[in-house]
Amino acid sequence: MTNAARIKNRIRRLRFDHGEMSQQELANRAGCTRQTIIALEQGKYVPSLELAFQIARTFGVTVEDVFQYEDNK
Amino acid sequence: MAPLQKRALYGLIFGVVWAVAIIVVFIMRGGVNAFNEDLGFRLIVDGLWIGGLVVYLILFRTIMRRPGQFDERDKLIMDRAPRVQWWAVIIALVVWMIVLTEVYHDVGQVPVVFLFLIFMSSLIVSMIAQSVGILLGYRRGAGVSHDECC
Repeated sequence: MTNAARIKNRIRRLRFDHGEMSQQELANRAGCTRQTIIALEQGKYVPSLELAFQIARTFGVTVEDVFQYEDNK
Repeated sequence: MAPLQKRALYGLIFGVVWAVAIIVVFIMRGGVNAFNEDLGFRLIVDGLWIGGLVVYLILFRTIMRRPGQFDERDKLIMDRAPRVQWWAVIIALVVWMIVLTEVYHDVGQVPVVFLFLIFMSSLIVSMIAQSVGILLGYRRGAGVSHDECC
């Protein structure tokens, strides 16, 4: 299993909780493209630490609140 | 569609059109044998060669230089594309080597035009393969933000 499949995120949920923030707005605030936000929400991409922190900071939460590592053990 | 993805698609279309144009010119002007004798033929091919390169560079630079449309995932996909490029060029060179060896084995020499064609085809294959590599990268979703290794 790839890392992309193991690392889940709550970005879609957090966007909804933050006044239904659009993907474009999140992308602008986190410093990435809308396509990257789409890939993140679809679980096709795992971001760099820097982008993970930027996304968490945009929502005002910790990185662990956004990204979860699923252990298969 | 991401700007880099768009560029890759344009690059792929342009590369295929470029290759087809050169093949059509070769067929219409009498093939490989006429190349050495026909100056007009050589000038047309040179024009296609230089014109194609200029159009490709303009296409590349206009899209890539737009600010705020390129992030870490695009860069990652772009950085991985040379793997596809490398394999495509190697395969193209191996095919050239085998075909030319088999066809001209008895003659003992290869016409000069093939130097030109090998270089030209390698460049076009490289360009098309880069575009394919980028498009595949977007299709796969890029995976993780670092190379999976070790």
